[in-house]
Amino acid sequence: MTEAAVAVERLEKTLGKNKVLRGISFSAQPGEIFGLLGPNGAGKTTTLRIICTLLSPDNGTVKVLGFDTRTAPQEVRKRVGVVTADIGVYPRLTARENISYFAQLSGVPHGELKRRVDGVIERLDVGSFADQRAESLSSGQKQKLAIARAIVHDPQVLMFDEPTSNLDVLASRDVREFMVESKRRGKCVIFSTHVMHDAERLCDRITILHQGQVVASGSTAEVRGARRDLEDAFLELVGEVSRPSPGLPPKGGG
Amino acid sequence: MRTAWIVYKKEITEILRDRRTLMAIGLAALATPIVLSVISQVATKTATQEYTIGYSGDIPTGLGELLSATSLKLVPVSDPAAAAMRQVDIGVAFKPGEIDEYYDPSRQSAQITDTRLRTVIGQYSAAQAAAALQQRGIDPGILTPVRIVARPLTSPVQAASNAFLSFFLPYILITMILTGGFSAALDSSAGERERKTLESLLLTPAPRSRILLGKIGAVTTISLVAAVAAIGSMLVALSQVSLPKESGIGHIAVSPVAVPVMVWVAILIAVSFSAVTLALGTLAKTFRQGQAYVTPLYFITIFPASIILFIPDFNPSLAYYLIPILNAVLVLRDAIVHNAVEWPTLVVTSISLVATGALAWFAALRLFTREALLTRS
Repeated sequence: MTEAAVAVERLEKTLGKNKVLRGISFSAQPGEIFGLLGPNGAGKTTTLRIICTLLSPDNGTVKVLGFDTRTAPQEVRKRVGVVTADIGVYPRLTARENISYFAQLSGVPHGELKRRVDGVIERLDVGSFADQRAESLSSGQKQKLAIARAIVHDPQVLMFDEPTSNLDVLASRDVREFMVESKRRGKCVIFSTHVMHDAERLCDRITILHQGQVVASGSTAEVRGARRDLEDAFLELVGEVSRPSPGLPPKGGG
Repeated sequence: MRTAWIVYKKEITEILRDRRTLMAIGLAALATPIVLSVISQVATKTATQEYTIGYSGDIPTGLGELLSATSLKLVPVSDPAAAAMRQVDIGVAFKPGEIDEYYDPSRQSAQITDTRLRTVIGQYSAAQAAAALQQRGIDPGILTPVRIVARPLTSPVQAASNAFLSFFLPYILITMILTGGFSAALDSSAGERERKTLESLLLTPAPRSRILLGKIGAVTTISLVAAVAAIGSMLVALSQVSLPKESGIGHIAVSPVAVPVMVWVAILIAVSFSAVTLALGTLAKTFRQGQAYVTPLYFITIFPASIILFIPDFNPSLAYYLIPILNAVLVLRDAIVHNAVEWPTLVVTSISLVATGALAWFAALRLFTREALLTRS
C-alpha cells in the first residue's frame, strides 16, 4: 500500500472540560473517498480541524502526506483544502476576487494566478456568476465558490465537513459529483457526514466515531455487513455504545 | 511581506465597498466645517449682540453715549429689580454718586452685560476723575502711579488663533482617526468571525502575523484618510470662515512646524489605534459585540483631548509624555502654540505610541493564534 495521505494515530483532544477525542486512529489513501461518520458531537469536526492544523492535538499524531501537523503546519496547509457547511465568503468581493484572494494566500505564483483561477471557475461552472459580488449569490452558488477557493491551490487532500447540510437537492448533487471527480483525479477525499445514505453511495472506506471513539472501521461493505444498509449498521453500532456499559466512558460532546 | 500586501489590498477593496466606512469618512469631512460654521456664527452673534439695561433715575452726563458705543441699550423702567428678572438683561438705578445694579447671575446675558457695564463705568469714572484733577491743575497721571505697557511677543490675534487650534486640531485629529478606522477594524476582525470566513483564512499557509500586518495597514490607511479629510476640510473651512475681530481670532492658520509634527503623530496614533481596535475586535464574535468593546475607547481618548480645553497652560513633566493620547495632544499643542518642536517630548511620545502599537499588535496576534478563537461559541 502507498503512503497514507492522512494518518491519524491515537488522537486525543479536550476542549474546555469535554474530552472530545479519546485516542482515535485511522488512515485515508490517495484516490479514495474516506467517510468520517458519526452523530452530532461525535468528534468529526474536531478531528478534521486537527488534520488541517486549526487545532493542535493533546496526544497522538496526525500526518498529512508525511508532514506532521504539529511540526510542519504550513506544509500541511499547502496540501489541504477544506469545505464546510458554514459557507463563509467575503460578501463585497466578487466570486473571482474571492477565489483569487485565497489562491494568492495559498502561495499560487503570480504568473499562474489567472490560469489557476480561470481553471477552477471553468471546472466548477462558476463563470456565469464569477464577476458578481458574493453577497448576491445563492447558497448553492456560494458553496461552489467555497469549493473553488478550497481547491484553487490544487491540494492533494480534500476535506468536506457536512458540505451539503445547507444546500438544496441540485446543489447537493453538484457537491457529491465533485467529490467523485476529485477521487478520480487521485485526490484523497475525506467526507464527514451523518447522512448515511450519502456515505454509502460515495465512500470507499469509512470510520464511525461515537463519543470520541472509533466504533467501526473498514470498507463500506465490511461495516454494513449483513445489515440491510449502512444506516441500520450505524444505528446498531451507535446504539450499542450508547447503552450503559462498564467498559465505556460517559457520553461527551465534541 | 507579499502576504501582508495581498491582505492589505483585499481589505482596502472591501472597505472601500463598505458604505459604513465611506459614511464615516464623509461625515468626518463634513462635520468639521459644520461645527466651525456654528462656532463662527455663535461667536459673531455673541460679539455683536446688543444687550439691554433697564434704568431708573437720571443718566450721568456722557455715560449714555459710552454705553451705546458698547452695544448696551438703555431702556427706562419703573422698577429696575423687577425688570432685571425677565424684561431686560440687567437693571440699574442711577442715584447721585451711586449706581445700584440688579441682575440674575444665572443668566449668561446678565453676566456679559454686567462685565461690559463695569468696564464702561470704570472708563467713565477714570475720565471724570482725570477731568476733575486737571481742573485743579493736578497731573491725572497720579491716578496710575504704575502703568503696564503691554509688549506681546506674538500678535494677540495669532495667540488666540493658536489657542483655538491647540484644542480643536488634536481633538479632531484623534477622534477622526478613531472614528474613521472603527468600522474597518471591526469588519476586518469581528466581521471575519461573523461571516464565517475566519476559518478559511486561517487554513491558508499564510503566516498569521503577516495577515494581521496587512489588516493593521489597511485600517491605518483608512484612519489616516478620515483624519486627512477632517483636518483638510477644517483648514479649508477656517480659511473661508471669518470670525469676528471682537473674538480676537480673525484669520486662523496652522504654523509650518505643526504640520510635520501633526503628520508624524497622526501616523503613530493611527497605527496604535488600528492594532488596539483589531485586538478588541478579534475578541468579539459579531460586529455588534465588537462595537461594545471598542466604544469605551472614545471616552479614553476624548478625556486627554479635552484636558487642553480645561487646563490650557498644562505643562507637565516629561514623564506625562509616556501616557498615550495625552502625549500626542500635548506635543501637538506645543507645536501649534510655540511653533517649535521640543525634541525630548516628541521622542518620548513616539516611543510611547510605538510601544502601545506593538503591545496591541502582539495581543492581537496572540488572540489570532488561539484555538479558542475558533472553538468558542
